[in-house]
Amino acid sequence: MTNARQQLATALRHYGMAGVLVLLCAFFSAVTIRDQQLSGAEAADSLVDQLSKAGKQSTVLVIARATDEDQQFAKSLRVRLETAGLVVAGVVTGEPRDARKELQRINDNGAGLAIIAATPECATWTILADLPTKFPALGNPRIVSPQASRWPVFLTRQNLLNVANQIVVVAILSAGLTFVILTRGIDLSVGSLIALAAVVATRLVRDRLGGTEATGASLVLAALAGLALCTLIGLASGAVVVHFNLPSFIATLAVMQAASGLAFILSQGQSIYEVPESSAWLGRGTGLFGLPHAVTLMLLVFAAAHILLTRTVLGRHLYAVGGNEQAARLSGVPVGRVKLFAYAACAALAGLGGIVMASQLKSGAPTYGTSYELYAIAAVVVGGTSLTGGQGNVLGTLVGALIIAVINNGMNLTGVESYTQKVVLGLVILAAVLLDRLKGRFGPNARH
Amino acid sequence: MNAPLSRRRLVLGLAASLFATTFCAAADRPKAVIGISVLTLANPFFKDLADSMTAEAKAHGMTTIVTSGEFDAAKQQNQVADFIVRKVDAIVLCPCDSKAVGTTLVQANKAGIPVFTADIASLAKEGKVVGHVATDNFGGGKLAAVALIEALGGKGKVAILDHPEAESVILRTKGFNEELARQKRENGVTIEVVATLPGGAAKDRSMKATEDLLQAHPDLNGIFAINDPSALGAVAALEKAGRSGQVKIVGFDGMPEGKAAIKAGKIYADPIQFPDRIGQIAIQNIVKYLAGDDVSKETLIPTQLYRKADADKDPALK
Repeated sequence: MTNARQQLATALRHYGMAGVLVLLCAFFSAVTIRDQQLSGAEAADSLVDQLSKAGKQSTVLVIARATDEDQQFAKSLRVRLETAGLVVAGVVTGEPRDARKELQRINDNGAGLAIIAATPECATWTILADLPTKFPALGNPRIVSPQASRWPVFLTRQNLLNVANQIVVVAILSAGLTFVILTRGIDLSVGSLIALAAVVATRLVRDRLGGTEATGASLVLAALAGLALCTLIGLASGAVVVHFNLPSFIATLAVMQAASGLAFILSQGQSIYEVPESSAWLGRGTGLFGLPHAVTLMLLVFAAAHILLTRTVLGRHLYAVGGNEQAARLSGVPVGRVKLFAYAACAALAGLGGIVMASQLKSGAPTYGTSYELYAIAAVVVGGTSLTGGQGNVLGTLVGALIIAVINNGMNLTGVESYTQKVVLGLVILAAVLLDRLKGRFGPNARH
Repeated sequence: MNAPLSRRRLVLGLAASLFATTFCAAADRPKAVIGISVLTLANPFFKDLADSMTAEAKAHGMTTIVTSGEFDAAKQQNQVADFIVRKVDAIVLCPCDSKAVGTTLVQANKAGIPVFTADIASLAKEGKVVGHVATDNFGGGKLAAVALIEALGGKGKVAILDHPEAESVILRTKGFNEELARQKRENGVTIEVVATLPGGAAKDRSMKATEDLLQAHPDLNGIFAINDPSALGAVAALEKAGRSGQVKIVGFDGMPEGKAAIKAGKIYADPIQFPDRIGQIAIQNIVKYLAGDDVSKETLIPTQLYRKADADKDPALK
């Protein structure tokens, strides 16, 4: 095998999936290029230039929605138009119905209207179609909107934050699952643990900690209780796997059923939503640089997991156990304790995922997390961690989770219908596993 | 030797297949776009609902993006987040969780996008819904009682296969019981409800529940099953016990499989729902909203009794 090809194989192993992620992003950027409207005060600026040519004394009606950006647009446009010497006949910030009322009022005054300045969203309202027939006294006003620039929807700030936000729960799960898969195990219970943690935490808040009046400290306490329960369950399934030498597949399948049932019992099959507003802080709040708290948490989890795997003895032991359990045991690695750690950490992170989801949805229900274990396994495998243990890393898992998120988001943005989405996602997972095989064939292990 | 090549091929192939499916959709931007997220596309009811919304939207020069939450409230929230980025003009939801949908509604409200609900209402305290369209489940429950009284000639012992987890089913059972009580008072009907068992709104659980029912009440005459899968589960249990035809069943929904069973005489009748009407009115609500007209907060679509005579004439069952 030539040196160059070896280098290529190494490069692909380390950066292959990151490359796929970049390609996917580029692809979805290319196919989602659309007119992006300016908004807020900026949009008002661009309109004033356009309208000041219309001549002084022209009457203008400003129409915008009730959102913050639109209100800002309407406010600054009014000020600027008046400075430029135009007459602002009215400002609407609301629904089509409000626009109808205002148009009717101006029509009834018989004053006539030269221009309607509407945000692009409002310009599609059908109330603004056929104006001369509906409101004859207005004349035939020209409808103008702020200029647009071409930019991919995929690459807008809000969308990228969406992608990150949407994958937080699966990503946190898959970080924990990476530990277990590295030891050559699997944990199928993570989806059910999401539901259990969400239900336990919200039920504690509702029944014991003051319901919608609960304080921040109570919320933290409830979240910790959910996490603690999940950690205990993880320890238990780890203990079963280690001491009875059961296949992890079977042990965690049983735990998956039991935990899901427990969540249904504790919630009586209903969703628990009597929690305070502030419980959405983690799931919906934003912090530094407008980064959602949940995304920050996810990054912290991955940073910690990465350090653990690459810089600590425990991390090396995880690889050793998965690579060759017998050899690890003979060289003094506490195999049992390492595995216990992997299952406990995995369950704890699943619980954390449940807390994040409960916060995002401001409620807890036993149906949360259904089949999330499969997404998480997919993220780990797509991220290059080998199901046969001992190979892989947690940053790859993050890339894997992002690939799944980008594909989901991209398909939603381009309007691929949901049956096709499933097929595509399945093919992606298959492709990732095949890629893993090809790497194996040409990687350093191939020569053994 | 060819490893890098096949790797590249994989990626290119994937990109090409994605491109093929997406390019058409990205081409031009029509007048108004409606984002739709239904409960599940695996149930023909919601498939019909989504299809009729798409057809009605097309008739008004609008286009739809149809997605499905598949019972996952978090997934549905993500779908709405994507609608917001795409700047759709309106959103129609069949909430996956009536109570947890609040944060999703608030998100859309904040982005200034009006939200409409179909079939399942929001029970959340927060978030604004412009208009809701659904089956008149309470009235449908009454019709079910009418059908069962008719089938049994006004006397006998009946059971209900219930599923009180769903708001709509609670209304059906309530309507059934109230109509039965009224007819007992006014028309000398002597039907007795001897059991109300959970059937999970599903075939398998309803079949087991019916088997137990037949053990506990060997003289049972009739069953009201709150939807078609429950009714079909009851049919299966009766067939297994060799008692088909002896116990009259009234279902609910009018799914194709349920209608076929009515034609075969295995189910006596169904109050049938009209997902296509629900879809049309949901879209007409959006049209009204965008034209600045008033939209009614709640529209209930009445059900209709569908018996064997209707099934025999139904062209869809030929």
